Amino acid sequence: MDRIDCDVHVAPESYRTLYPYLSDYWRDYVEEAGVRLNGLALAYPPGAPTSGGLPPSSYEELRRRVLEPAAPRYAVLNCLTAFETHRSAYFAAAVASAVNDWLREEFLSRDERLRASLVVSGLSTEDAVAEIERVGDDHGFVQVLLPARGDLPRGNKTAHALFAAACERSLQVGLHAWGRPGNAPTPSGFTTSYLEDYVGNQQVAQAQLLSFVTEGVFNRFPGLKVLLIECGFAWLPPLLWRLDKDWRGVWREVPWVDRPPSEYVREHFRATTAPAHLPKDEPGAVTQLLEMLGDAGSLLTYSSDYPHEHGDGLATLLDQLGEDDRAAVLAGNAAALYQLS
Amino acid sequence: MKLIDCDVHAQPTEPMLVEYLGPAVRRSLERYGRRTPRITEWYPRVRNAGMRVDAWPGKPGHIWGSDPETTRAQLLDEFGVDFAVLEVLSGQDCYDDADFAADWNFAINQWQLERWLEFDERFLGTIAVPHEYPDLAVAEIERRAADPRFVAVLMPSSAMEPLGSRKYWPIYEAATAHGRPIAFHTGGYADYRGAGRPSFYLEYHVSNGIVMQSQLAGMVAGGMFKAIPGVRAVMTECGVAWAAALRWALDSAWELMRDDMPALERRPSEYLRDHVWFTTQPIEEPADAEHLVYAISQAQLEDRLLFATDYPHWDFDSPTQALPRALPPDLRRAILCENALALYELPRQPAATA
Repeated sequence: MDRIDCDVHVAPESYRTLYPYLSDYWRDYVEEAGVRLNGLALAYPPGAPTSGGLPPSSYEELRRRVLEPAAPRYAVLNCLTAFETHRSAYFAAAVASAVNDWLREEFLSRDERLRASLVVSGLSTEDAVAEIERVGDDHGFVQVLLPARGDLPRGNKTAHALFAAACERSLQVGLHAWGRPGNAPTPSGFTTSYLEDYVGNQQVAQAQLLSFVTEGVFNRFPGLKVLLIECGFAWLPPLLWRLDKDWRGVWREVPWVDRPPSEYVREHFRATTAPAHLPKDEPGAVTQLLEMLGDAGSLLTYSSDYPHEHGDGLATLLDQLGEDDRAAVLAGNAAALYQLS
Repeated sequence: MKLIDCDVHAQPTEPMLVEYLGPAVRRSLERYGRRTPRITEWYPRVRNAGMRVDAWPGKPGHIWGSDPETTRAQLLDEFGVDFAVLEVLSGQDCYDDADFAADWNFAINQWQLERWLEFDERFLGTIAVPHEYPDLAVAEIERRAADPRFVAVLMPSSAMEPLGSRKYWPIYEAATAHGRPIAFHTGGYADYRGAGRPSFYLEYHVSNGIVMQSQLAGMVAGGMFKAIPGVRAVMTECGVAWAAALRWALDSAWELMRDDMPALERRPSEYLRDHVWFTTQPIEEPADAEHLVYAISQAQLEDRLLFATDYPHWDFDSPTQALPRALPPDLRRAILCENALALYELPRQPAATA
């Protein structure tokens, strides 16, 4: 079936791969300090059953491992290399530029089926805006990639210039699981197991969704859509029930939110299908969940999340969707989101 | 016996507690105050300070929730509440040193006992503890354990460490040994870090459910429910309907990585099913009330839901209106009364009429 894959991972093997795109100063900095690209391995320990090994690091590898066997109409590449721990905004901006240049040269310039997320510094809105201005007009970039975990919720007012720059170029926002490995990954502190970190992305994504709506991001940027990538979606209905209820009580605090928050969410949020953490051996509960989601056929966009492994939820989900919804989830929704033909 | 309210807030003013404090803590309080901001300073509540408009007693020295007579009139008598479980939150965000924390929580419990439990038999108490000092918390539980009017031990929803941490297990073990469930009540520290700190009370308030999801994940993954077999956790004022999605996520993740978690012998959802209760307020309100019934059955919560009003807070759930008509009558009765009777092992007849 025709598919647009909204989450395929690629990553440089090391900083050495990025050297051609880094200045002498930053190459020396990396060499002298012995800095390594560790963020990815902290999110996806290479030996963990959910990681599926390392992502492709070259076009040839991507072609062989993903494009040939799966043959998607389009694949959106996400490089999480910039989801790092260090606190230097200057280094972060340089690495973001290097990653984008690497993505363009290694992948986007070689295959018309490829699109990518534009990566930006998570430590400085000013630098993120400059990077969007630098490469955001390249039609290969379809969205700005933001990590779910961070110092401030993503809808915060200090980030609005980033959304303005993205909207000017019809770029969407992709909010991807993980980010900032040094921060506690939960609202309750540091975890003691990978299982908590893994599931914790879903709690962090919920908090991020609240931020975008309450800060009025969609009032200011009515064209903006946010794709939740690898954050799950089964948690959405109860969150919206609660959010609408609370909003009816305390809307005075956020008077710009002038209709039920769930309406903003339905209009502006999409979510990838992986991970589809669905009830096991309870087909009735899956049917109920789809009914509770309201319009799963327009909310969800297919992602293989290659090379990551999340179990068999996708098959369960696709089984329960009608033919039109299945086609929309597999390709139509992503085509509309990114204006792909 | 028809109605048990499992989350009612009695709120002492500082002078009300001072009379129960030792001289050293009293002096420290006079000189340095509480030092750390209260949650209302992080996230102001933009109307009537977040309280029911009618909850201010109009008596000198009193505030909302400080006067048992007002609560009796506005809650117990007005709605025919058979029992009301008090949760005094004044110690939830206690960042203070061990001596202060021990004295402060002793004072909370003593005030609760003398002003409320002895005022009306329908009021039941919850043991406030200096949770960052588990040995002192255990001592406070033991001090109150012989009094059946204290029906549970109170913990915040956010502490210095995740609540599943072994640090707090002695508290849970002592509560369990004395037959008390632990009420984890929304509140405590506001050190949000996963997504960063939010801007608004609206976000903070909705996040109360999100925090509990993380805490439950930690309790399961850390092996607490396995290590303390009889432990009963009552997730209080954090919502209900998200429990199913959390079960699905934890079970799916566990299946993928169970080899790495030999301590978990069963699916995470089975531990949640056996050990976790929820109070209803603020219960989620889907546009189609039938969806709430779905959510309850998906998480197998029929005998785990405890009705609560959260008096005197602004989002008070009325006993006559909060539960949707879509709930089957048996389920409604279980939520309003039967589940709490079983959990707290309460007499089926109030003492006055027995």
